Amino acid sequence: MGARENILARIRRAQGRPGGEPTAAERAAVREAIARHEVGPQPPFAHAPDRLAQFRKECDRLGTTHAQVASERDVPAEVARYLAANGLEPRLAGWGEFAGLDWAGAGIAFDNRPARGDDRTGLTGCFCAIAETGTVLLLSAPATPKVTALLPETHVCVVRTSRLVDTMEDSFALVRAEVGDPPRAVFFVSGPSRTADIEQTIVIGAHGPYRVHVILL
Amino acid sequence: MKVGLFVTCLVDLSRPGIGFAALKLLEGAGCEVVVPETQTCCGQPGYNSGGREIAKALARKVLAEFRDCDYVVAPSGSCSGQMKVATVHDLFQGEPDLPEFEALAAKWYELSQFLVEVLKVDAVPGKFEGTVTYHDSCSGLRELGVKMQPRYLLQMAGAKIAEMEGAERCCGFGGTFSIKLGEISTRMCENKCESIRATGAGAIVGGDLGCLLNIEGRLRRTGDKETKVLHFAQVIAGEG
Amino acid sequence: MQVQSMFFKQRASEKLGDELLQGNMRKAKGKFVDGRAKAVAEFGVWEEVRSHAAKVRDRALANLDAYLLEFEANATRRGAVVHWAETAEEACAIIVGIARANGVRKAAKSKSMVSEEVNLNEALEAAGVEVIETDLGEYILQLAHEPPSHIVAPAVHKSKEQVAELFVKAHGKPRLTEIPAMTREAREALRGHFLGADMGISGSNFVIAETGTTLTVTNEGNADMVTTLPRIHVVITGIEKVIGTLEDFATLIRLLPRSAIGQTVTNYLTLTTGLKMPDEADGPEQMHIVLVDAGRTKLVGGPMQEMLRCIRCGACMNHCPVYQNVGGHAYGWVYPGPMGSILTPVYVGLENAGDLPNAATFCHECAVACPVKIPLPELMRKLREQQFDRKLRPWPERLAIAAWAFAVKRPALYAFLSGIGARVAKWMGGREGLIHSLPGLDGWTKGRDMPAPAGRTFRELYRQRSLERR
Ligand code: SF4
Repeated sequence: MGARENILARIRRAQGRPGGEPTAAERAAVREAIARHEVGPQPPFAHAPDRLAQFRKECDRLGTTHAQVASERDVPAEVARYLAANGLEPRLAGWGEFAGLDWAGAGIAFDNRPARGDDRTGLTGCFCAIAETGTVLLLSAPATPKVTALLPETHVCVVRTSRLVDTMEDSFALVRAEVGDPPRAVFFVSGPSRTADIEQTIVIGAHGPYRVHVILL
Repeated sequence: MKVGLFVTCLVDLSRPGIGFAALKLLEGAGCEVVVPETQTCCGQPGYNSGGREIAKALARKVLAEFRDCDYVVAPSGSCSGQMKVATVHDLFQGEPDLPEFEALAAKWYELSQFLVEVLKVDAVPGKFEGTVTYHDSCSGLRELGVKMQPRYLLQMAGAKIAEMEGAERCCGFGGTFSIKLGEISTRMCENKCESIRATGAGAIVGGDLGCLLNIEGRLRRTGDKETKVLHFAQVIAGEG
Repeated sequence: MQVQSMFFKQRASEKLGDELLQGNMRKAKGKFVDGRAKAVAEFGVWEEVRSHAAKVRDRALANLDAYLLEFEANATRRGAVVHWAETAEEACAIIVGIARANGVRKAAKSKSMVSEEVNLNEALEAAGVEVIETDLGEYILQLAHEPPSHIVAPAVHKSKEQVAELFVKAHGKPRLTEIPAMTREAREALRGHFLGADMGISGSNFVIAETGTTLTVTNEGNADMVTTLPRIHVVITGIEKVIGTLEDFATLIRLLPRSAIGQTVTNYLTLTTGLKMPDEADGPEQMHIVLVDAGRTKLVGGPMQEMLRCIRCGACMNHCPVYQNVGGHAYGWVYPGPMGSILTPVYVGLENAGDLPNAATFCHECAVACPVKIPLPELMRKLREQQFDRKLRPWPERLAIAAWAFAVKRPALYAFLSGIGARVAKWMGGREGLIHSLPGLDGWTKGRDMPAPAGRTFRELYRQRSLERR
């Protein structure tokens, strides 16, 4: 008998169930329990009357900066302003969905490709954002590479306020409704990377970005 | 109202004055106090050393001794935790006498809780001038919720309370732990003593004799012969 | 990791005398505890979520086999290969086998306590694979050739000066004094490893049955590199980590970072399910999930099953006054603090775990802090009961308990003996009323005096009072 069979048999023996593997009825019961998708208690602030204000508040706590623009057309100008204000080079690697905007007009070199190890700034959109924790949620797919949010020192993320949900549970419901099975990477980003591994002192910028800037529209 | 006084083995052996202080407080509040002569120990040392059967035997003995009392009161959060929590949540789970232990647990009180919550005293015989700092013993605090009651009583006696840093942190006593792992226990106690010293209070007061002997032992060993180490019952009974 | 837990007492003694370590521990002390307290206070429904979390963990543990198969079926459907390992050796053999079959030269690892349990790094290195720890704390310890001393903050016992020293040796650059600069230097040193590794190895805080998902929870982003960049991703985790649904994960993740360090959310949470699509820029081509038993089934179904709820947040050790004073290395195996005092004896054998079940005053701080309501002191007491029943404690201790138990059940004898004891001890205490040393109780009297008894027992005095009153 292999390890799998031994482990399963040991569990069943210890928990007083006969046989070497779960019965069809046991499996069905588990599936049924799963299918209920029971939602646990949530903190009161997760359902704030002003969802956007809650999102912004959490962003502030995490060190995520944010700005509001009127429409997608205004994104390049806001990116240009942000990069200049932080003394960053006006060049970025971005997701294809933003390639059609007028980057040249804003003085930015836009590389329509996944970010590489040496890119300084990455521009992404997101699947949705979560107000409770100030989080943006990215789903992996050919057009939405995760590396663009991860490798550069600066991550700029465009968030449509229509895609703002209250909680993580709500974001999962949205994934189920719109995508089905979760894709390979479901990537929750909450502020710039950090570490406190040396003397429990928080340092912003560990392996991931040093800066996260959210552009709300 | 017939109140049984559970003296505790440590008070019996080492600091009978605490037992008499408790007696004075209860009698002073009009209770008819009985002190069963055959009482010895609640069984916690056995329980915490893995001797479950010993603990059960002693719990049954305590049950028999206090069966006909309306209340049982102990000047210790630790022994009270043993009789109120360990018996019903663990030792007698699934045993036929569980209901009797539940009844005992319901009428069993730590002294400060009894004075404040049941007797609702609004005056105490003791007068204390000066500042004390209060150490919250673990079982009383985390198992029974003893926190404000002793402070309230101490203030009634006129004591000013200077809270120490980490009042709720364990002093390192832990019963047999203090001997088995004496070096760690001593360090934990030293941390506690540092907090006590930093308050500048003239007395360290607590509700469990084990912790108090531990703290006193460390203070004296490190040269502090001044700071008084007292049970709150002594202070509020005016026997400190 | 080699088990050293039988030497807990000696190791603790060394740690208590280690000034450098004591200084480093003092710096860390309070940061975790205060952070958690604040996060819990502003949360509002902590107890409700805690209870729900315990329930969802229990639900999966109660039907562990069926949940594991559900996970396996879904993970397999998404293209992962699920492996099962009964022992540490089997787990290592499986991963070494994957490395060999794919010609792996370099593996980048994100933090995994299970991999510490099974000594994975040694096994891979013996097979010629270079292993790079990428969590900053683990990286520091890999340079120092030391095991972690905390499950969340592995290098909590090191000072920045000690880290600077290690970095000078490893990176060959001028000594740094500031923590942000050190962090940047490590980032730069590790970037190449992420991009050059053939294999990424991560743990998984939970595995989700519903979707066949594994996941990582980090602040640094290293796990995201490890699970995204190399062509092979290996997950090593314990069989007890299975939960039902994404919603269950949402509940648990509200508790985990708050309990660990007082953070509302970690910077990165990544759910990984399946493989890279043909036209994707990133993601692994192979995914292997190794489910490890290595002692866990000993807890299943028994009186200590609750321990398997553990979500490895570290709150129990952060709040433990014993841990705070001796640090993690004293415990002598992978898991320190209260949770380690339970897991170590169970996983490596009670007879090898020495004093661990006794390394607690039962102050209950851990039980109050534990986000999944594990009754840690009660479980430690169960181990003490096993030690007692199996006569594993030293004989003088057993004799003392037996003698005490004999007397304490016999009131007349007890009254007689305690009467003598009170008098003798009073005499020993002399004028000051302090006993400076007591044979058999030197654990106490080495560092403390024993305040001497008053001389007569309460029992005697009370009887006298009753007689006088009559
Ligand atoms: S036992 Fe509880 S407190 Fe300790 S690490 Fe596990 S979940 Fe956290």
